[in-house]
Amino acid sequence: MFRYEFMRNAIIVSALISVLAPSIGIFLVLRRLSMIGDTLAHASLAGVTLSLVSARNPVVGAFVFTAVCGGFIELLRTRFRKNADLILPIILAFSVGIAITIMSSGRLRVNADSFLFGSILTVTRTDMALVAALGVISVLTVVFLYHRLIYIAYDEEAAAIAGVRVRIINYVFMVLSAAAVSVTIRIVGVLVISSMITLPVATALQFEGGFKRTLILSVIFSVIYIMAGLVLSYYLGVAPGGFTALVSVAGIILIIMGKKVHKHAIRALKRAG
Amino acid sequence: MIRAKELHFSYTGTAPYILNGIDFEMLAGEYISVVGDNGSGKTTLMRLILKMIKPGTGSIASSAQRTGYVPQRNSGADSGFPITVHEMLNSYRKLLKVPDKNAVRENLKLVSMSGFENALTRTLSGGQSQKMLIARALMGEPDLLVLDEPSTGIDSASREDIYRILKALNQTKGMTIISVEHNLRAAVSNSSRIYHLSGGRGHICTPEQYVAEYMNRPGEFGDV
Repeated sequence: MFRYEFMRNAIIVSALISVLAPSIGIFLVLRRLSMIGDTLAHASLAGVTLSLVSARNPVVGAFVFTAVCGGFIELLRTRFRKNADLILPIILAFSVGIAITIMSSGRLRVNADSFLFGSILTVTRTDMALVAALGVISVLTVVFLYHRLIYIAYDEEAAAIAGVRVRIINYVFMVLSAAAVSVTIRIVGVLVISSMITLPVATALQFEGGFKRTLILSVIFSVIYIMAGLVLSYYLGVAPGGFTALVSVAGIILIIMGKKVHKHAIRALKRAG
Repeated sequence: MIRAKELHFSYTGTAPYILNGIDFEMLAGEYISVVGDNGSGKTTLMRLILKMIKPGTGSIASSAQRTGYVPQRNSGADSGFPITVHEMLNSYRKLLKVPDKNAVRENLKLVSMSGFENALTRTLSGGQSQKMLIARALMGEPDLLVLDEPSTGIDSASREDIYRILKALNQTKGMTIISVEHNLRAAVSNSSRIYHLSGGRGHICTPEQYVAEYMNRPGEFGDV
């Protein structure tokens, strides 16, 4: 499969996504903001359709529109704390509304299905360059803000007292989330983005380690899930998004079961000893 | 160290005020316990000292170079957040830009928590968790330490340990301490002065005066 250029592009893009998605995902999961990932995924679909209808690059369009929505979510979350749970459904409905209206209007000359389900055939060199640029900038920003992001997730009040500019970093984090979502959309598609951001982290959390260990394990599981999904979907001739999600779910179930078996085995050994 | 003048505060910005004309002065090296009934404004006063909120009218100023803060309960510690004691303290050290890498180990030693570096924070007992938060607050070598009910939900042995640490910090290191207290016995035995809040107003007195004035009230010492 490596003799095809589209497959090589897809593997490079997947490798970048495998690192970026859990690096952002771990903070989303630990701050209990997984639903934001889902909302941003739908916002990215609106961005894609808006770009396609105006003949612009869909990855750029997805990033810009998702970043604007992310910033708007953060603004509304801080202004209307009591109604924070209503903000996400409003942004989600707005985004899905735009996407469906454009897709059903017949004005799209390109098939938007590849953005819904993910595709390895349509990853162009331009896409690859954009994904690489967004991915590298985002990962470097996470590295730069690492301790501040940990503290905002762990204890926002203590972070503020230590002089962290919590509000500004929350906006930056929304832009990073938007970047992670818009680059992931290319391979796995809108429908399973939030799973790809959260499932490797959820798997890593089963190992009950410290933060650094959990982050490293999240990246390892992300690489395994995305690469396995990509390769298997190629041989099975199915969309990579759906199959990557299935591989991830199988992975986390196996780990949870393995953990239970391990616990029972230790208990049995203790009883025998 | 801290001076409040005609301080008024309410969360709505209008009357009725939680703090209704507070005049308060704390000198460097003092250990003051702030006591009062639930809803008397103890935590609000602490939040004003920490500049987490701004006064409605009047003023409150602190001349502390660095302020350490020990919260009542740490939300992150209970949420299953995957972080070790070392990671938690070391990240805080980085936020405060403290260059000394040994600060984590030294502060853990100061609160008798050496050997807990690799423990996950969520596995700590209430007393250990509180001591870890004191170690965190000491990270920037503060000259003012603000605590919010440091012994709530903690067993008696750990409670004694915590007050021993606080007293040592105050008496041997000269650290100024202001602690919102629910534990009146601890307030009386450790503080140099007690600030009693009631009906939005405050009254400062020595521990002896406080005992003479309040100890005969039924239930006042019943929970300690």
